Amino acid sequence: MSTIALPRTVRSTFPLLRDPALLVPLVGAGVLIYLAVLPLFMLLLGSFQVEVAPREFITSLKNYKEAYASQHTYSTFVNSLIFAGGASLLAFALGTILAWLVERTNTPLRVIFVPVAVVPLILPGVLEAIAWIFLLSPKFGYINVALTNLFGLQSPPFNVFTLPGMIWVHSVGQVPLAFLMMVAAFKSMDPSLEESAMMSGAGTWQTLRRITLRLLMPTAASVLLILFVRTLESFEAPALIGIPARIYVYTSEIYLAFSEYPPDYGRGSALAVGLLILSALGVWLYTRSTREGKRFQTVTGKAFRPRQFDLGPWRWVGFAFLLTYFLGVVLLPFLVMLWASFLPFFSAPSWKSLQLLSLENYRYLSSFRPFWDAMWNSVILALSTATAGMVLTSLIAWVVYKSRLPGSWILDFLAFVPITVPGIVLGMALIMLYVAFPLPIYGTLWVLLIAYVTRYIPYGMRSASGAILQIHSELEEAAGASGASWWQTFWRVTLPLLRPGFVAGWIYICIVSFREFSTSVLLATGDSRVLSILLFNMFEQGQVTVVAAIGIVMIFTLLAIVAIFHKVSGRVGIQA
Amino acid sequence: MCRRKPLATPLFSGLILSCLLLLSSSPATSQTLDELHKLALKEGGTLNCYCTLAQINAIKIFPVFEKRFPGIKVNHVDATADQLASRAVAEARGGRTVGDVIQASIENVVQVFEQKLVLEKVPPEAEAYPAYLKGTYWVAGDMIYIIAAWNTELVKKTDEPKSFEDFADPKWKGKLMAEPRDVELLMGLARSKYKNDEKAVALLRRIAANNVEFHKGHSDLAELLVAGQGAACLTCYSHHYPPRIKKGAPVGYLLAEGIGTMEGTAVFKNAPHPNTAWLFARWVASEEGQKVYAQGGRAPAHPKVEPVEKVRPEKIYPIGADEIKAWPKYEKTWKEIFKLR
Repeated sequence: MSTIALPRTVRSTFPLLRDPALLVPLVGAGVLIYLAVLPLFMLLLGSFQVEVAPREFITSLKNYKEAYASQHTYSTFVNSLIFAGGASLLAFALGTILAWLVERTNTPLRVIFVPVAVVPLILPGVLEAIAWIFLLSPKFGYINVALTNLFGLQSPPFNVFTLPGMIWVHSVGQVPLAFLMMVAAFKSMDPSLEESAMMSGAGTWQTLRRITLRLLMPTAASVLLILFVRTLESFEAPALIGIPARIYVYTSEIYLAFSEYPPDYGRGSALAVGLLILSALGVWLYTRSTREGKRFQTVTGKAFRPRQFDLGPWRWVGFAFLLTYFLGVVLLPFLVMLWASFLPFFSAPSWKSLQLLSLENYRYLSSFRPFWDAMWNSVILALSTATAGMVLTSLIAWVVYKSRLPGSWILDFLAFVPITVPGIVLGMALIMLYVAFPLPIYGTLWVLLIAYVTRYIPYGMRSASGAILQIHSELEEAAGASGASWWQTFWRVTLPLLRPGFVAGWIYICIVSFREFSTSVLLATGDSRVLSILLFNMFEQGQVTVVAAIGIVMIFTLLAIVAIFHKVSGRVGIQA
Repeated sequence: MCRRKPLATPLFSGLILSCLLLLSSSPATSQTLDELHKLALKEGGTLNCYCTLAQINAIKIFPVFEKRFPGIKVNHVDATADQLASRAVAEARGGRTVGDVIQASIENVVQVFEQKLVLEKVPPEAEAYPAYLKGTYWVAGDMIYIIAAWNTELVKKTDEPKSFEDFADPKWKGKLMAEPRDVELLMGLARSKYKNDEKAVALLRRIAANNVEFHKGHSDLAELLVAGQGAACLTCYSHHYPPRIKKGAPVGYLLAEGIGTMEGTAVFKNAPHPNTAWLFARWVASEEGQKVYAQGGRAPAHPKVEPVEKVRPEKIYPIGADEIKAWPKYEKTWKEIFKLR
């Protein structure tokens, strides 16, 4: 009816207004270009601008020269490579051993370790780093103090403020990802090749080494690559451990170029462009390796169940490994945080400190306005990013996989671009864009919402496209044949059918938005401060035991959000 | 006119100039804080405060300001002083001024001024301050005393330091911590205690030989000291210790001598809420505001306001406006002594 109001000429000039099937792809492309491409363009532009006098710029290559030919360039590059290489290898090794023990062996009680292994996914990276500082700080870290006292050591055995310390802290946070990816790989493995090996007289270890591991090579390569890229982009360990220890990697150099006086946007952008290229290269290799991986396809149409290796008495060693992982990597950081949250100041467990325990930090939080403001901001952002992100990616996924429009692959490509953009680079690009933007959203929650949605579009796409591919076109065609408009079909047929993928993607985006740090560190200020930034600032300001209390509240809030959404979605018949 | 005595001409023009200046600044000087409050309310009721105040102090100070001037809400953009200066400069490059007022270490306020971002004007309340606590565009908001502190579980009573010189003793090797940006220690010793650069540099070189461990952020440093990361701290802030000692933390601090530095307050030239900014700057400089700062755990700069806690050292080596001008020279030496980047 609304089209009646339009004069005939307008309708014929703007056929798009009548045809959402054309309007949606165009708007989608516009939104994606605005979100993913425009900030990068600004970043690139900024990397060639040099300030010669206050607010007077010339175009030059000087920034690149300063960023890549300075005395620090080499050490930053080497540190970044060691950090990313070390952390990805360690996370991969731990994740693979866990996955293999749980999925392919007869290790006792392995089933209960599946949910346990992924629990650290909930723990925000900032908290993970703080917890490990509490545990492994050279002079007051609980583990160091305990071991020094126990064995009468002269010096502490561990020091978290080193490159290996950074590698350890980051990699334990990445183990759940490696674990989940490797579990999927082990699950989908055709056992016939292993069985043939066994039949031909190969033992357990020989089969593992010569068949299982070789079959896993392509998956392993891609998992390693993605872990490498994620470490390269990460900022939690570089900020909380690297900067105090004066071990700089790309992300911390970019952060310092912006936040130390005088701010050097040009050098920061030039470094950011370099990191972007490295990251894009990693992602490109990853997609190539997963495509290559299809040649080694291990899932066939045949019904099978991968066989289990009998570890014999070694299964108890496997059990000890799982238990150590659970106690040392999952439980200990949480416990140390919980313990610290009851203390007035940081102190090692002792009879004396036991008497200091109180609920004072939680009482303090209850009337601490910045905490409630940040909590509100984080919750609002997590919910709105998850919702906006999933609606946007559902529409784009529909265009890509259902519309059959020529060139719809461009949308798929654009939606993938943000995965190559490290959080801190995106933060920097958005500042450069919005600080001069006529729309007054700089310094508000809106710019954070834009940043988060941009960052998590690729993850939303993955969930939405997986679900949309399973919907047969005939359902939509039936709706169309029954007289439903495009929007009616989308809202009443496509979207309800998309729900499982939508819910899974929503929960994931909600969690990662709630704990987001590396983009927010440059964008969130004052009224738009989020919890992870409040944690970081307060940790820098020395209120470490209050930080621990905030961390505990944060973990339980996340669990509550996930549980509530699960319950609600379960009631309306959705299984995530 | 041309026959007027030579002396009278400058005198007369000086008089006219003073009258003009007085007239031009009359809106600020003649207004009471309450009148200014009414003007501030018309600007939307927000104050964007680029202030380094730690949350622990901010939650005691800002609510009092908000209660005193209903309808004004403080948007506290908190970060370290160099981060705030950096942010203000970066925003100005994008053609935007977001902050209304900056309150940070004086050297960072100077940096922002050098970028032509702050108003060259001081509140009338500044009259009560001695010359070294104000400039042409800033007034000290609160004092910060750099003192030595130690962990009482790691330092025996007999070993407690009595002066900065004590830290040159090799018994402190591997036990000292400091903040990497505290050039003021060198300046205070060189210009005020010894009145001799070489002597100050020689002392710091001997201290540096004890392998000083550096950590950014004074609050963080205090917490590390409590936790036992180091046995003593060379450049700690005195106001960090009374609240920690009250909670039972095992720390002690030296009040026999200290470096007196300050945080300055200045108003941004293109502040989005100019009257609100001015209201805050005047309130902070006033006796009333300074009492609130003292109650909030800071050391007031106003000569008539005493700190609530024991934070003021007996002997103070002040870092005033003149010392700030010599900052780059001393910073270079400081970094060279301790091999800082």
